[in-house]
This record gives sequence, C-alpha cells and structure tokens, in this order.
Amino acid sequence: MSLRKTLRILHRDLGYFIVGMTFVYTLSGIFLNHRYDFNPDYTIIVENFQSGIRSETRIDEDVIRKELKMLDHQVVYKKHYMTNRGNLKIFIENGEVVIDPSTGSGTLNYLQRRPFIFEMNMLHRAAIGSVWKWVSDGMAIILFFVAVSGLFLLKGKRSFSRWGLWWTIAGIVIPLFFLLYYI
Amino acid sequence: MNKITLFFLLAIVVFGCGNPKKSNETAIKETDEVVYTVDELIANAEELAGTEVAVKGTVMHVCKQGGGRCFLMGSGEEINIRVEAGQKIGAFSQEQMGSDLTIRGIFKEVKTEADAHNPAREHGEEEHAHDEEADAAHQIIQTAEEKAEVVYFIEGLMVMKEE
Repeated sequence: MSLRKTLRILHRDLGYFIVGMTFVYTLSGIFLNHRYDFNPDYTIIVENFQSGIRSETRIDEDVIRKELKMLDHQVVYKKHYMTNRGNLKIFIENGEVVIDPSTGSGTLNYLQRRPFIFEMNMLHRAAIGSVWKWVSDGMAIILFFVAVSGLFLLKGKRSFSRWGLWWTIAGIVIPLFFLLYYI
Repeated sequence: MNKITLFFLLAIVVFGCGNPKKSNETAIKETDEVVYTVDELIANAEELAGTEVAVKGTVMHVCKQGGGRCFLMGSGEEINIRVEAGQKIGAFSQEQMGSDLTIRGIFKEVKTEADAHNPAREHGEEEHAHDEEADAAHQIIQTAEEKAEVVYFIEGLMVMKEE
C-alpha cells in the first residue's frame, strides 16, 4: 500500500475519532478565551435584597435560616461568620450571602454551573487528575497527526506544494504577527 | 489499517481507564494523623515549614480563574492560608466555598516571586468584569500577607475530607 493511501486512511479514521475531542476543546476554548468577559464555568446570579437582620439582632443559625427562606431562590445554609468590616457573610450551597447589619441590605451571589460547558472546561484545563493529562496528550498527538497528514493528501493543482503551502503560511503568519506585536 | 486505528482506540481507552480513581476525589480517612487548624499551623509555622501537614479550615475564597488555588480561613478571615491545587488535586470548585476541607500538603514558605500569590499576574492586568467578592477576598488576603513577617502557603497533595 502506498504511503499516501496509508496517510489517507489514517487521516480519515483518526479524523473521525478526534471530532469529539476537537468539539470539546474548541467550544470550551471559546468560553475560556472570554474568561475576563464572563465566568466560563458558572452563571452568576446577583440579587440585592432587604433583610430583617440589624446590628442589634442576635445572629445565630436559626435566624439566618429564617432569613434565607425569604429569598426568591431556594438556598441551603452552610456556615456564617462576621467579617472584619462588620458584615455578616453567609456561605450557602453554590454561593454566598452578605448582609450589612447596619442597614439590613443584603446581596446574594448564586452560582449555577453551565451545563456541559463546566465539564468541558475541566477537561480543557486538565483539572481532573494526572491520568487525563496523558490521555489528552495522546489526543493532541492524534490531532497533530490529522493536521499534518492532511497536508500531504492531495496531488496535482491543489497539492501542498502548489496551493496548500500558501494557506499554511497565512495560518502561521497571523498568530506570529500577534506574538511579535504584543511581546 | 482498520486494525491500526482500532489499536489506537483501544490504547486510549485502556490507558484512560487504567486508573479509575479520581486524584481529586475526597477521601474520608480515619487515621491518627495530626490535623492542624489554620490557626495552629500559622502559630507553629516556623517549626512546620517544609514538612507535609494536614490542615482543616473553611474555604473562604476559590480562585475564579480555574480554581487553581483556594484560601482556608481559621478563627477569623484575617487568619488564612493559601492552598495550591497543583497537579495532585487538580482544581478547587466554587461550590467548595464555605465548606470545611481537610487537606494534606507540603507547608512552604514563600521565597520566590513564583511562589507568591499575585492575582494581577494570575488573572491578567486587563479590564475585566468587576467582581466584588473576589476583590474583597483579595484585599483581606493581601492585608494578612502584608502584616505577616513571613508568608506561607500549602502545596496541596490531597483533599482528605470535605464537610
């Protein structure tokens, strides 16, 4: 079997295989790329409210649980403490509540995981342990192979040497420009 | 060629399933190991620096850029210790805020710039969405670090327990 035919078969089959991973990395990559514009992992709900807690209120877990029940969202109490600034900070499942006892005003910060995106971001960051690190390295090698083998698949007018080379150079020049411009 | 492709597939699956235990899985361990509170750790910092310790504290802040580190607080928010997730733990999640974590790790002194906590370096200098919680937490952490003669942190190895 010729080398070109072997490359075509491997490119085809490994190309099919790597589609899922490429989808994960490209979609999560877009979210992570915009991590300074919005939280890539969570939707954050911020709500201000007025609580009945004041400076003279004897604050304990029961009082706090009663206050949390008044909120629009169903939240689960975890822990609380008084901050150095005199605010009441309440940790809840998936968020926190901060109340200023001097005025009773409070802020709820509630996190909701972005379905699928959260998990894909974990994969992308390789934040799920060292085994995945090596698996994703293997996937990257496969993707690299699929990319490079694609360069040599075609013959004739649209082959790499007559056509593809220029597109490849353009694809390298663009990121290189940004590298050189910003560094 | 189908056999070669199948071999690649099997290799990835077998390799990937070779160690099903999650490295950041919390494990309840009943041991005689000494578990320090954050206050105790800080009080005995000089003696414990460079050793492997187990510490229990409440998660007061998790880095929002990937959860690469968290801060455990002791009896008050001004008494806190940074824990780097590193490769062993992977990442902390925002859902762990307010939880009591017992973490094993290597207790270290901050000696180089690379070891130091630098939110601007880690989160970027660019303008980004204003995050009051993160800003407040960073201010508390920075104040605590400025007051301390020596700053310490923990290179996390394992989350032993989460409550």
